[in-house]
Amino acid sequence: MLNRLVRWSRIKSPWILHLNSGACNACDIEIVAALTPRFDLERFGVLLKATPRHADVIICTGPVTRQIKDRILRIYEQVPDPKFVVAVGACAMSGCVYRGAYNILGGIDQVIPVDAYVPGCPSRPDAIMDGVVKLLGKL
Amino acid sequence: MTDSEIVEKAKTLLGGKALEVANPSLRRIFITVAPGDLAAAVTALRDHMGFLYLATISGVDDKDDYELLYHFGNEHVCLNVRTRIPKAAPRIASITPVIPGAILYERELQDMFGIIVENIPDPRPLVLPDDWPAENFPLRKDWKFERPEEKIPGGKP
Amino acid sequence: MKVTIPIGPQHPALKEPISLRMTVDGEVIKDADLRLGYNHRGLEKLAEEKTWIQNIYLTERICGICSHSHATCFVQGVEKLMEIEAPRRGQYIRYLVSELERVHSHLLWLGVAGHEAGFDSFFMYTWRDREIVMDLLEIVSGNRVHYAINTLGGVRRDVDEAQRAKILGSLDTLRKRTEYYLMIGANEPSFVGRLSRVGYLSKEDAVALCAVGPTARASGVARDVRKDDPYAVYGEVPFEVCTADSCDVLGRTVVRVKELLQSYNIIEFLMKNLPEGPIAVKAPRKAKPNEVVSRYEAPRGENIHYIKSNGTDKPERLKVRAPTLANYAATVKMLKNGFIADIPLIFAAIDPCICCAERTVEVVDARSGEERTLRFSELRRIARGRFEKVSQKRNAAWPF
Repeated sequence: MLNRLVRWSRIKSPWILHLNSGACNACDIEIVAALTPRFDLERFGVLLKATPRHADVIICTGPVTRQIKDRILRIYEQVPDPKFVVAVGACAMSGCVYRGAYNILGGIDQVIPVDAYVPGCPSRPDAIMDGVVKLLGKL
Repeated sequence: MTDSEIVEKAKTLLGGKALEVANPSLRRIFITVAPGDLAAAVTALRDHMGFLYLATISGVDDKDDYELLYHFGNEHVCLNVRTRIPKAAPRIASITPVIPGAILYERELQDMFGIIVENIPDPRPLVLPDDWPAENFPLRKDWKFERPEEKIPGGKP
Repeated sequence: MKVTIPIGPQHPALKEPISLRMTVDGEVIKDADLRLGYNHRGLEKLAEEKTWIQNIYLTERICGICSHSHATCFVQGVEKLMEIEAPRRGQYIRYLVSELERVHSHLLWLGVAGHEAGFDSFFMYTWRDREIVMDLLEIVSGNRVHYAINTLGGVRRDVDEAQRAKILGSLDTLRKRTEYYLMIGANEPSFVGRLSRVGYLSKEDAVALCAVGPTARASGVARDVRKDDPYAVYGEVPFEVCTADSCDVLGRTVVRVKELLQSYNIIEFLMKNLPEGPIAVKAPRKAKPNEVVSRYEAPRGENIHYIKSNGTDKPERLKVRAPTLANYAATVKMLKNGFIADIPLIFAAIDPCICCAERTVEVVDARSGEERTLRFSELRRIARGRFEKVSQKRNAAWPF
C-alpha cells in the first residue's frame, strides 16, 4: 500500500536535473524551451532542480569529454536512489559527429547506465516530452 | 583608407622588418616578418596604425616549420602578420606586453602544438583535460589518435 | 581569510559545463580564474579528415545557438577559396536566416538575463516570443535549430511568396512586443537597479583586452564586423551600429534590444527587395592551395575562421575562434571587485556560449586559501536574495 503511494507520487512529480557533458547547446536550449509556455513540461509535474540531491531524473546531453567524465560519475552518485537517466540527442546516444575525436569518449552510456534515449540533432521539445512521459510510463 | 594606402604605410613603417607585404583580396593584407622582429612589428602597428585589436593567433603545421599568423583588425582592413619558426626549436616571444588580450591564444598554441612561448605570464594549459598525457600535441600533423573499443550496453559483447 | 569557491562544472543557471574559481574576501571577489576544457571536442583535428561539404555539417554543430554563424563564416571562406560566388538571391536568403538567428539569440539572452536577475515572468514572455521566430526559421529551413540551409555556392531552399508574407507579418508582432519590453524595462526600477553598475568594464579595458560584440559595444567601442568589413549583402543594407555608454550589464541589455530593432529593419529590407534568380551555383570538389580569413558578426561578437587548403577535397587547416573566447579576459576583469551575488549576472551578460569556447570558473577566497565548494544553486539563491533587498536606484535611467 505504501509502495503504491510512493510509486504514484514518483510518477506524478519527477524532478529533473539537467546535465550537459560538453554539448553544443542545441539540445539544452530545446530542453529549456520544453519548460516554456508553448510546450509546458511543468504540467506533468516536472520541475527543473538545481542540485543533484533533489532530483529523480537526470537528463543528459552531449558527448562525454575526458575532462568531465569524473564529474559526471560524482554527480550520478550524488543523486539518491531510485534514479533514472534520459539521454537526449544524438551526441548523448553515440557521439554524433564527434565520434573519433581525441577528447570524446562516446555516448553517455559509456559512463553511466541510461534508461531512455531520445534521438534527434537536436531533439525537438515534443520529442523530449515524449521521452520523459514514456519513461514515467515504465515506472 | 584603401588597401593600397595601408600597404604603403605599412611598408614605410616597418621598413626592412617586413619581408613581404601581400594584398591578395579585398581588405586582407598579409605581412611576413622574422620571429625576432615580431614584437617590434606589432608594437609599431599598434602605435602608429591603430591596430589595437587582435582577433586570434593561428598555428599551422607546415612540413618543417610552424607558421604562426596573428590576425589584427581595425575599421578598414584585416591585417595578418605571419612568421615561421622551425620545428626543431619551436620558441616564440610572447606579445602580451604589447597586447594583453593575447594571453589565451598563446596558451592555446602551447597546448595544441607544443610551441614554447617565452615570458608568458600564465603558462597553464588551456583546453586539454587534466589527465592528458604530457608531450602529446593534438594539432601536429604526425599525431594520430587511435580510438579505443567502445562497449555498447546491451549490444554484442 | 582566503576562501576558494569552485563553481561548476554542473550547475543549474548556465546550461554548459564551466568551472569558475574565485578568490573571495567576504563577499567581494578579489580574483577570478576560468578553467576551460570541459567542452573541448577536438573539432579542428576532426575537420582535417572531412571533406568541404561534410565540414559544413561539422561547423554547424560547434554551437547550437549560433550554428548558422559558424556555418556561414566557413562557407564564405570556402567560396573565396574556390573562387565562386553565390547568386544574389541565395545571399539574401542566407543573410535573412542570419538576422533571424540574431533575433532569436538576443531574445534568448533577454530571457536568461531576466531569469538571473530574478524576473522570471520576463523570461517566460521573451521565450514565448522567441517561438514566433523559431516557427519562421522552421518554415524557411525545416528545423528549429541547426538550419543546414547553407551549401557551397548558395543555399539549399528557396523562399516563396507565402513564406515571405508570413515573415513580414510576424515582424509587426515582434516589433510591438519588443517595444513592450522596452517599456517594461524603462518603468521597472528594480530591474534597472539590479542591472546597473554591475560588471563594469571601462572603454580602455575593453580595447586593451580585445573584447568583441555587445560586451564591447556597451562600453562605447563601436566595433561591428558588418560595418568594418562588410561581407556580402551588408554593403547595401542600411543599418546602424548600436552602442551604449554605461559600460555595465544594463548597457549590454540596451545594446541587444537596440540590435533587435535594427535586425527587424534589416529583415524587412531583405524581404522587400528579394531579387529573382537562382539560389546556388555548382561548387567544385577540390580547392586550389590558398588561404583565407573569414570574419562574421555572430550575435555574440566577431567570429573568425582561418581556412587553408592544399589542393585536395579536405582542408589543410581550419582554425575557429569563437566570440566568447575573446570576451573571457574581459570577464575576468569584470568579475574582480564585484560581489559573489553578481557572478551569475556578470557571466550571463557576456552571453556565454561555452560550447564555442570551452570554459570553467572556480571561486577562491582571498584571505584563508581554503576551498569551499559552493553550489551554483546557493549562489543563485544569494543572487535572488540580493535582488529583493537592493534599494531602488532611483537615478538609474533606462538609457535608450
